[in-house]
Formats: sequence, C-alpha cells, structure tokens
Amino acid sequence: MAAQFLRLKLRLLGNAFRRSPWQLVGMLLGLLYGASSGIVAISGLISLRLVEAPVADAIVTVFGGIIVLGFVILPLAFGVDDVMDPRKLALLGIPTTTLARNLALTSLIGVPAVVLTLVALAQVVTWSRGPLPLLFALISVVLLVCTCMLLSRVVTSTAGFLLSTRRARDISGLVGFLVLVALVPVVFLLLRVDWANDGYRVLQGVASVVGWTPLGAVWSAPGDAATGDIGAAVLKLLIAIATVVLLWFAWRALVFAMTTSSQRLAHVRTYRGLGWFRLFPATAAGAVAARSATYWVRDARYHVSLIVVPVVPLLMMVPLAVVGVPPNVLALFPVPIMALFLGWSVHNDVAYDSTAIWLHVASSVPGKADRIGRLTPALLLGVPVIVLAAFITAPLFGDDAILPALIGLGLCILFAGLGLASVTSAQFPYPAVRPGDSPFAQPQAVGTASSLIQSFSFFFTAALSAPVAWLAWLTLIEGSKWALPTLGLGIALGLVYLAIGVWGGGRIFTRRGPAILAFSMRN
Amino acid sequence: MVDSEPDAPSPARTPRSAKPQAARATTTTRKAPAKSGTTTGTTTPRKAPARRPVKAAPLEPEKPREIVLSLQGLVKRFGDTTAVAGVDLGIDAGSFYGIVGPNGAGKTTMLSMVTGLLRPDGGHVHVHGADVWSDPVVAKRNMGVLPDRLRLFDRLTGSQLLYYSGTLRGLDRSTVVSRTADLADAFGLEDALDRLVTDYSAGMTKKIALAAAMIHSPRLLVLDEPFESVDPVSAANITEILRRYVAAGGTVVLSSHSMDLIQRICDHVAVVVNGAILDSGTVDEVRKGKSLEERFVELAGGSKIAEGMEWLHSFSD
Repeated sequence: MAAQFLRLKLRLLGNAFRRSPWQLVGMLLGLLYGASSGIVAISGLISLRLVEAPVADAIVTVFGGIIVLGFVILPLAFGVDDVMDPRKLALLGIPTTTLARNLALTSLIGVPAVVLTLVALAQVVTWSRGPLPLLFALISVVLLVCTCMLLSRVVTSTAGFLLSTRRARDISGLVGFLVLVALVPVVFLLLRVDWANDGYRVLQGVASVVGWTPLGAVWSAPGDAATGDIGAAVLKLLIAIATVVLLWFAWRALVFAMTTSSQRLAHVRTYRGLGWFRLFPATAAGAVAARSATYWVRDARYHVSLIVVPVVPLLMMVPLAVVGVPPNVLALFPVPIMALFLGWSVHNDVAYDSTAIWLHVASSVPGKADRIGRLTPALLLGVPVIVLAAFITAPLFGDDAILPALIGLGLCILFAGLGLASVTSAQFPYPAVRPGDSPFAQPQAVGTASSLIQSFSFFFTAALSAPVAWLAWLTLIEGSKWALPTLGLGIALGLVYLAIGVWGGGRIFTRRGPAILAFSMRN
Repeated sequence: MVDSEPDAPSPARTPRSAKPQAARATTTTRKAPAKSGTTTGTTTPRKAPARRPVKAAPLEPEKPREIVLSLQGLVKRFGDTTAVAGVDLGIDAGSFYGIVGPNGAGKTTMLSMVTGLLRPDGGHVHVHGADVWSDPVVAKRNMGVLPDRLRLFDRLTGSQLLYYSGTLRGLDRSTVVSRTADLADAFGLEDALDRLVTDYSAGMTKKIALAAAMIHSPRLLVLDEPFESVDPVSAANITEILRRYVAAGGTVVLSSHSMDLIQRICDHVAVVVNGAILDSGTVDEVRKGKSLEERFVELAGGSKIAEGMEWLHSFSD
C-alpha cells in the first residue's frame, strides 16, 4: 500500500511537468529557488564546522528555527494546493492509521522534503566533532525530517479543512499577507544590529529561547552535546521527540476528522437591502459603479489593492531613509506613489469578473457605461485620499506652497492611470486570480503578457504625467509661482486623459465584448 | 444544410389561447395511420408536406406566423473541429422549443452564438428581425439569457443581482424593485434575497439566474440547461412559470439532456448531433410515435450494447 501511495505521488509530480510551457517555467524557477536556497544553507552549515561550538550552536538554532517556521507560514500565506488531501481518499475505505502513515510518507517525495533532508544531513557535518555530538546530530536528522513533514501536512490540511469556507479563506490570505508585511520592520530592525560587535550576543539571546521551543530544540540538541551540556542536549532531544509524537497524533486525528466529517458549513451572513445600489443612480453606469464598489468592499482580491496603496510608499521610504534621504524630502513621495498605485489597481479589472462578464455582453451594456462604472470607486476613493495625503505631507515637507503642486501632480497621475486602465482592461486583459480563490493564489495560466502589461501601464502612466511632474519640480526649486499652474495643468491634463481613456476604452469594450468573454472562459 | 424547410414547424401555430396539449392530442390521433409508412426509413426527412393541409385547415387564418428567432447557415469551428456545422432553424413566436443532443453536440456553442456571447464563423442570427451580430443592442434587448457554466456576479446578494441585471437592461428603480419581489415570490427565493449568491446551492443559483434572465420581460428566453441540478419541486415550479410565459405569447428556447422533460413540456424540438440538426419540428412530428428518447437514440446513432464487462457481474466482497 505504501508503495502505491509513493508511486501516486511520483506520478502526480511527474504530471506537473506535462502542463503548458509557462507553468513548466514557473516550476523550474521554483526548483531553482529551492535548490539555490538549499545550497546556501548546506554550504553555511558545512562551513560552520570550522566555527567554535557555542557560536555555531546559536546560529544553527536560530536559522534552523526559521526554517521550521517556514513550513508553517508558507502554506498558510500562499495556500498550497494539497494534491494528497485525505478527503480525496476517503471513499477507498483505508484504515485511518494506515492512511495517515502513508500520506505522511508521501510527503517525503517532493522538493521541500529533499532540500530539507540535505540540509539536515549538512547539519551532521557541522557537529562531526566527536562521537556524542555526531550521535545527537544523526538522531536530529530523523526528527527534523519527521517534524517538518508532519508540520507541513498538518498545516496544509488544517488550512484546507478548517479554512475551507469562503470567508475564512478570504481572511486567512489577508492575515498571511499582513504578517509578511509586518515582518518587514523586523528585518530592518535586524539590519540595524551592529553584527560585527553585538551579533553573537543577539543571536545567543534568541537561541537561548528558541532552543527550548519545538522550533529550535531539534537543531540545538547536537550543539549542546558539542559544548558539553549533555543534560540540556537530552532534554532538548526529548522535546523534539515529543513534538514529533504530538504532531503524529494531531495528523492522525486530522485525517480521521477529514475522512469522516462532511464539509464544514459556513455561517451565512445576510445583508439587508440594496447597499451601494441604493446610492448610485439606476443607470447602467450607476449599476456598474455600485457593483464595483460592492466588490471593493467584499472581495478579498480588491482588499489587497486597498492594503497595497498605503503600504507601498511606506515600504519605499524605509530604504530611502536608510541611505540618508532627508525626512522632509521623503514626505513628498507618498502622494504620487499612492496615486500611481490607485490608478494602476484597476488596469486588469475586467479579468477579475471572470466569466460573469457575460452579463454585460448579453445585456449589451454600453462600453462607456462599463468603463465609467468601474472607475467610479477608484475615483471616489482616490481623489479624497490624494487631497488628504497632500494636506498631511505638505507641512511635513516644510513649505505649504508645495501643496497645490502636490495635489495637481497626484490627481494627474491618478486620472492618467485610470484613463489608461480603461483602455488596457478592455484591450489587454490578462489572467487574474479567479473569484473566490485566495488573493495570493497564482492564476491558472500565466504568460509574459501579464508582466508586460503591468509594467507598461506603470511606465506609461508616469510618462503621461511627465509634464505635470516637470512643473512640480519647478515649484520645488524655483518657488511657489509654479504651484498653481501645476495644480491647473495637473487637473486639466488628467481629465483629458480620463476622457480619452473612457471614450477609447468604451469603444474597445463594446467591440471586443465577446472576445473578452472568450478570453475569460479560457482562464 | 439541415432544416431544408424552415417553415415546416407547422404553419398552424397553435394560437396562444389554445393549450398545446389539446393541439397535440389531435395530431397524435391523426398521425397514427401515417406513421406506419414513415418508420421504415429513419433517414427520410419529415413528411411535412403531406401533413400540412390536414393540420393547417382549422387554424390557418387566425394568426400569421411570426418567426422570433431565425438561424441561417450558422457555423462555428474551433481549430480543426467543427462545433456547429451550418445550422438553419426558424422558431415561431409563442413556441416552447427544446434543443436536445448528446454531450458535446454543440448545443451550448449554438445557443452562445444566438445570445451574442460567441462570435460565429459564418451565418446569421436574427431575433425579432434584428441581427444579433450587426445590430446587437436591439436584438439583445428582446432576449433573456441563461448561459450554462458561466459565473454570476456572485458577491452580490440575490436582490442586488436582480437589481443589477434589471438596471443593466435599462429598467428604472421602482420597476426593478417591484419585479424583484414578484420574481422572488414566483421562484420561492424570498428567504435568499439577502444572502450572497456565492453561498447559494446549485439549484438556487440556477433559479436566481433564471429570474435575472426574465426581469426585463424579454420576447425570447434562451436557456441553456435550465433544469440541471434543480430539484423536482423547483423544476415543476419553473416549468409552470415558463408555460405561463409561453401562453402569454413569449418564446422559450431551452436545451436539455432530459428527453422526458422535453417531451413533457416542449411543443417543438430540434435534435442536434455533431453540430447539425438531424430533425426538427413539433415534438410529435419528431418522435414519430415512439418516445422522444427512443427516437433520439435512433437519430444519434443507436445505443452501444455494453459487452465484455463480465467481471462486473462477479462481485468482489
């Protein structure tokens, strides 16, 4: 039976190579990434053989703990498609223990398991400094592989089982993303540590805690053996063994629960009345606007854009601050950058509808109405945000005269981006995450087209706003006499772009309606 | 190439007021003697001309025939395969028209081209005189559409989806709101209106989509598999709604796998196999005294007898 399971997993892996060339490229990139990070870790561990034991112990414990943590976080954040979901085998009537064991065994086949095993073996080299550390290290190899594989199985299945309702999926993806965003400051905090002098102390401090947790115990035990603290080494080994045993029981219980219970029923929320549809006029454009606004509020894929808009300028400012750009100059960045991202956020809006776009085609919605409707939420949100952000950041710059110029530039970029998005989303839709999937899932089909269109809309928006940016620059260096012209030209030029975009995009949408539907059915 | 006589589906359209059942009953009795002659060759085209004078006599003068949907030489190819191979069909106003065919016969492709969702490689579709592909705005205004296996805007609640479908069709607010209430009542969706469509069951999703297709009171309803995954009670309910719509002069074109259902509720039927219409006309004309299912299997190339599965008859424990 175990052999059959392993063959099945191998076949599934092999079949992954028989898909479209672009998916193959994606897989190979993944392999390359896994291999290169594995090589870094392995060579690091081997070279630690030459480092004195306490230092090596601290380093191995901390980074090993991060690796184990990775097996928890990555499946949660990116939503792994579980090819060996126990539920798929529920109807075969295999005893739970056998099923749990065989499924756990199959997780040994795959890139993560292979890389992890090699890393665990490299750790043996680190501790090849005497029979006792070597013994502990060899036991650690087994425990490590068991821990990580069971952990990823438990996490993946929990995600697939307990988070199977739509709402839970929407939320968990966002939480994962927020955690990753929150890690950024931590990374910068770590970068600020003076590693040459304090590094060892910091690592030692972290390792002394992590080493006693299930994350680090298995990595730390051989190190303790090497430094001569046999008692601690044995205790940590016991912690590691207990971890594996607990994970095994958790996995077995999960397999039992998954194969015997039916789908979890979601608590269904109700919404009173017509919501946004009440607020917009009962015309085609108004209805599309209300529908878009509803999706901005309810659909996790739009939430991502909403989060990205304020987060990106902050992320960009951190490295600039590190290189020493003065803070008052930094204050000028958020407005144009947020405008750029807001305008860009709808450049593939039609693809988000997936095949539901048939309704617009079958109702022969005028292209212009469709375009205006889709832009409305971005405008209603964007204009106040830009103006407000300008009012906040201009005083931070230290010269209120810059305020009109900042508003003019921001609005011009926003309008130009939205006008361009009107055209691109009708003419060049590219595969997007499908409704209801995790916002971070990869679209079923990807191609070079998507990245080309993404960067094109970015740079073309910037190019369209260049004249206004030039005026804003003049305001900055020659003074306030250019401020009002910047505001005037920014709004005027922006509105022209918007009008052209809506007009042109509308014509394209009307003409290409069935082609857009055909596109959405292919993806 | 297929329907050589587009006017064959009876010049004697039963007028709205006369129930189809009544008309059907008379035709069957009349057909009984003629049938023995026709059954010999399945490939012989319908013997419509012979029948026409008999049938036409009592009803002819009352109502001139009005074709609400006509397909002329409709062709669609996907690469090397021809999904729809030159279909001609004329559907009278007030018919309840069923389109049957095996899986992959081209039903959905055909209906997609009719509804303006898929551009044909050749041929024309006219809805109430307007060409779907050169005058789409007028043609689509007269059409309510239920596509198969396409998504809905399912992050909207039921009432929002109906409101959206109505306003996109140009209805004003009060009309949409009152029709939403009526439709919810008719389809039994009152309790579901405030829930997101994505949380609906498959059958309920079908019903809300059907309600959305009707909200602008179109002249013609094109429904692709309207009864799939719908429970029998709801199916009876939907059938009743569609019957009353047809009785009031509306036209329904629907596709289905279920021969029983088509035979029961439709007055006309077209059999599509491999992208071509093998037979069309009133249900009684097409089924030639057999059940529609038997006739369909015959047209579609006979049933394959399962052999060589003896192991299935010795059960493993």
